[in-house]
Amino acid sequence: MNNDPYKILDVSPDATDEEVKQAYRKLAKKYHPDNYVNSPLAETASEKMKEINDAYDRILSERKKAKSQGQNYQTYHTNQSRFADIRALINAGRFTEAEQALNSIISTERDAEWYYLMGIIVYRKGWLEDAYNYFSTACKMDPTNAEYNSIYQKVKAQRSGQFGGYNQNEGVSMPCTCCDMCATLLCMDTCMNCCCNGCR
Amino acid sequence: MFGYLQPKKSELKLKEYELYRSVYCGLCRHSGKDYGIISRLTLSYDCTLLAMLSLSVKGEKSCVTKGHCVCNPLKKCLFCSGNGDSFKFAGAVSVIMTYYKLQDTIEDSGFFKRIIARFLKAIFSHSHKKAANDYPFIEQNVKVMMENQRVAENSDSGVDKAADSTAVLISNICCMLTDDEKQKKILREFGYYVGRWIYLIDAADDLPKDIKKNSFNPFKKHYISDNSDISLTMSYCNNVLNMTVAQVVAAYNLLEIKDYKEIFDNIVYKGLSSQQEYCLFEKYKEKDKSKKDYYPALSRKE
Repeated sequence: MNNDPYKILDVSPDATDEEVKQAYRKLAKKYHPDNYVNSPLAETASEKMKEINDAYDRILSERKKAKSQGQNYQTYHTNQSRFADIRALINAGRFTEAEQALNSIISTERDAEWYYLMGIIVYRKGWLEDAYNYFSTACKMDPTNAEYNSIYQKVKAQRSGQFGGYNQNEGVSMPCTCCDMCATLLCMDTCMNCCCNGCR
Repeated sequence: MFGYLQPKKSELKLKEYELYRSVYCGLCRHSGKDYGIISRLTLSYDCTLLAMLSLSVKGEKSCVTKGHCVCNPLKKCLFCSGNGDSFKFAGAVSVIMTYYKLQDTIEDSGFFKRIIARFLKAIFSHSHKKAANDYPFIEQNVKVMMENQRVAENSDSGVDKAADSTAVLISNICCMLTDDEKQKKILREFGYYVGRWIYLIDAADDLPKDIKKNSFNPFKKHYISDNSDISLTMSYCNNVLNMTVAQVVAAYNLLEIKDYKEIFDNIVYKGLSSQQEYCLFEKYKEKDKSKKDYYPALSRKE
């Protein structure tokens, strides 16, 4: 494996700080954990992300000397949920058992969280349409829940073609919409948080 | 396989296009050698991609030579050849899949089609035997997939269940390309969603035909609930496909691609979406226009 941080970021060693930062941001956006939520590849992606973070940090510290480093990724919050045991199963990667446990709950007992968890499990299986329907039901039943909303919005963005595919409503000459600008700002924000160096 | 995995030609550089062609021609030549002249007829863009993926993931050395085209001796073309493993593999997959596709046609088509399919199947049986002998794992997997597909289509379950068997098959095939555990994991995901995408776009593409003939299609339920508005259903199909592409892209980004990177990038980032655009939308506009002024690759102003 190559250990040259410049190779990892795909920039030349002569690149300016700004260019390095841009290359870093581009890659960080590509491999950001958000793109791999619930994916079996999450671990691989986070390794890659770590590699990129390390490379960037090394370049920065080489260039500017001594920068502190640290990062924390999101973890599943398990606070006081009806299905705490099922969440524990999901977090442990025991999806079949979790699915069985969920299926054994009678239909009158099924609330928004049930649909959300079911969505997570089938999403993981690759059954995206079912997952989408579960998430949307969860959001309909409990529109104020941030956890359900965030995954639902994410999935909707995927469906509209923002993460690849064909975007029907894309403008012909000016693809930059209000929404894109927001998304870019958000992405930039997350990238900065990620390496904790922020924008100075 | 059905030939939906193509690069967007208008975005390829000439040298990339030539390289792509050379893999295509190389595959044609190799499969002729390995599985008989007849197997050349089964060639598709999908298998070309599989050969390329195999060459790239395995890091197999390949060289390009110039020679006469096998089908048209007057034409000269470039041939890509490696040590043969990748091409043999892709050729076998192509032959086996075609054989079972014919089997499927025999079982559920009209009278004339059935006769043609029977005839073709008899011709292919020799190639198929050879391929199945070389790669019993693929043979086994395709068989299982066909069986599962039949069950899923008869039980009339949702889109996901219908797409699952193809997705699992492609996933298993992709897994065979490497022994490295980490790459395998990525290829499994990549293959699953590529397979799902192929199945779904094929289904969306066939939807009008299936409605007319009243045969099975996973999107038909949606078409009926959309009050038979085909353009609404197509937008829905597009959304379903987009979500799948998002997963393909996520897995692809992690894949360590050694050669042909530009061509893969083109297929994953642009090819898939332009196929969606063509199969779901452009084709319907096309019917209104005369065929003369239609250029699929250039029609969209960028």
